[in-house]
Amino acid sequence: MTTLEGTAQTPRSPRVSFRLERAELLKLRKSRGVWIPTAILTVGVIAIMYTAVELFHVSNSTKYGPAGGTINFGHAIMLMGQIAGMIAAALVGAAAGTQDLSSGVFRDLVSTGRSRTRLFLARIPGGLALLLPLMAAAYALAAVLSVVLAGGLATPSVTLFIKAGLYVLFSAGIVYVIALGLGSLVGSRAATISILIAYLIPIQAILRSISVLGRARDGLLSVAVERISPLPPPDRHDIINMSLATSLIVLAFWVAIFGGLGLWRTRTRDA
Amino acid sequence: MAKQSDFVIETEGLKKSFGEQVAVDGVDLRVPRGSAFGYLGPNGAGKTTLIRMLLGLTQPSAGTMRVLGRPMPKERSQALARVGAIVEEPGFHKHLSGRENLWISAAAREPAAHLRIGKVLEQVGLADRADDRVSTYSQGMRQRLGIARCLLADPEVLILDEPTNGLDPGGIQEFRGLVRSWIAEGRTLVLSSHLLDEVEKICDHVAIVDRGRIVAQGSLAELSAGDDGAITIGCDDPHKALGAIGGNGSLLEAEEIAGGLRVLLRPDEPLEKAAAKLNKQLVTAGIAVHRLEPSHVSLEHRFLEITRRFGGDS
Repeated sequence: MTTLEGTAQTPRSPRVSFRLERAELLKLRKSRGVWIPTAILTVGVIAIMYTAVELFHVSNSTKYGPAGGTINFGHAIMLMGQIAGMIAAALVGAAAGTQDLSSGVFRDLVSTGRSRTRLFLARIPGGLALLLPLMAAAYALAAVLSVVLAGGLATPSVTLFIKAGLYVLFSAGIVYVIALGLGSLVGSRAATISILIAYLIPIQAILRSISVLGRARDGLLSVAVERISPLPPPDRHDIINMSLATSLIVLAFWVAIFGGLGLWRTRTRDA
Repeated sequence: MAKQSDFVIETEGLKKSFGEQVAVDGVDLRVPRGSAFGYLGPNGAGKTTLIRMLLGLTQPSAGTMRVLGRPMPKERSQALARVGAIVEEPGFHKHLSGRENLWISAAAREPAAHLRIGKVLEQVGLADRADDRVSTYSQGMRQRLGIARCLLADPEVLILDEPTNGLDPGGIQEFRGLVRSWIAEGRTLVLSSHLLDEVEKICDHVAIVDRGRIVAQGSLAELSAGDDGAITIGCDDPHKALGAIGGNGSLLEAEEIAGGLRVLLRPDEPLEKAAAKLNKQLVTAGIAVHRLEPSHVSLEHRFLEITRRFGGDS
């Protein structure tokens, strides 16, 4: 048989090239509907937060303190780790889990003979390669502004900078994998985002405030994520104390359940 | 290494049910290596479902299948490495360019697939638009991009489901040229279609499928070789000829046509014997006969005959 090129019988390169992972990243980074909202929810939110606080400070410095310093840095970290960053991770994860299905490309990828497990697993680093740099950029912006705009306030220690950075990236990664799994399971980007936002914002808040649930609330994602934060717990009435080990087990459970369901559906779905 | 079989695709008793609905019903299919194989059937006959099973897109309910000599789905990865396919309308990431879409598909194949991207884009005539977003492509261009994607595998077998959908007449012509070049290169083509004309023009082997079952399978010549029990006679005086054969007991009916007669034989009447008898009668009556030939059935005739008959049985 005539081959298209003489390279047709080239053996597989032993060099790891991450081609599938790069393909996942390409799909996401070229999608304006994914990266623009993600950039807004990460870098944009931090820029807006510091700008707003600094404007208050400039307009009335006796009433409002400087935008920098440890306390405002803590607010920025909470915003990234538990609110806007989580939503950004949910957006990227939902897109990564559903875009091949909604475009009809999943069928083509499966018909290449490539393992479905491999196709699913490639989405994890592929999507994180878009999300984490944006989270890191937002974090770097917060870190710089916490020092530059500190005025006379105390600035975060180097240890806190490192721990907070790891926390922000870790919590985003956790939510990304959950969203990816849910997206792969459900198959609809809109449904995945709706379910996750509904859970992350109102449902969790309601559940954690129902004290009769007792230790069952340890299983809530927000409770576990809050526990691994390097910042002191916020002054809230619904704080739930749990050990670090328990929080890590809870997070591993969330990742395993949703990652597992997504993988199972990817392997068994009619393409 | 898998043994080189004469058939690139073999299925035995392949079945797929969706609840009570049987889409593919005990299909035994054999696609000869190097052939252009038409999988022909009306809409809803189960053509796409069969292809989806062959490509591992859906699991069969029963039966076995081998692709390029390898059992499916057990050795799916090796079997499909040299198969290119379009199933239904090809899907793409519309926000990406044609080239980027091919890059993504190549990422799921061997590393050499990336090196073929430029070549396949040229082959399907999309080199000039390769860097435009797919959202700006016409349906025909997307179809051609789908064909380019198939070729990334440097396939031994191409499985195309209704591939000329959306192509304009020029595109169809080009497509046929491409197919001929693939066959000349030794590749095997499986063309699933409800378009008889398309299959007749492209394929040399055919399976006719109806309601999930293969009702006829063989070379195009074999399937078209049958006669329909009629003889066309070319002669100088059709009116006189009609009178001359009036007493011939081998005939069911006879009619005048332009430049001659068309006679329908009794079903049990051997064709050669009846033709000789007719010729003798006409020549004896002083009629000059310049043509005497059995009228062959077209694939279309055979296709309609088979699918109607099987349709009536159920």
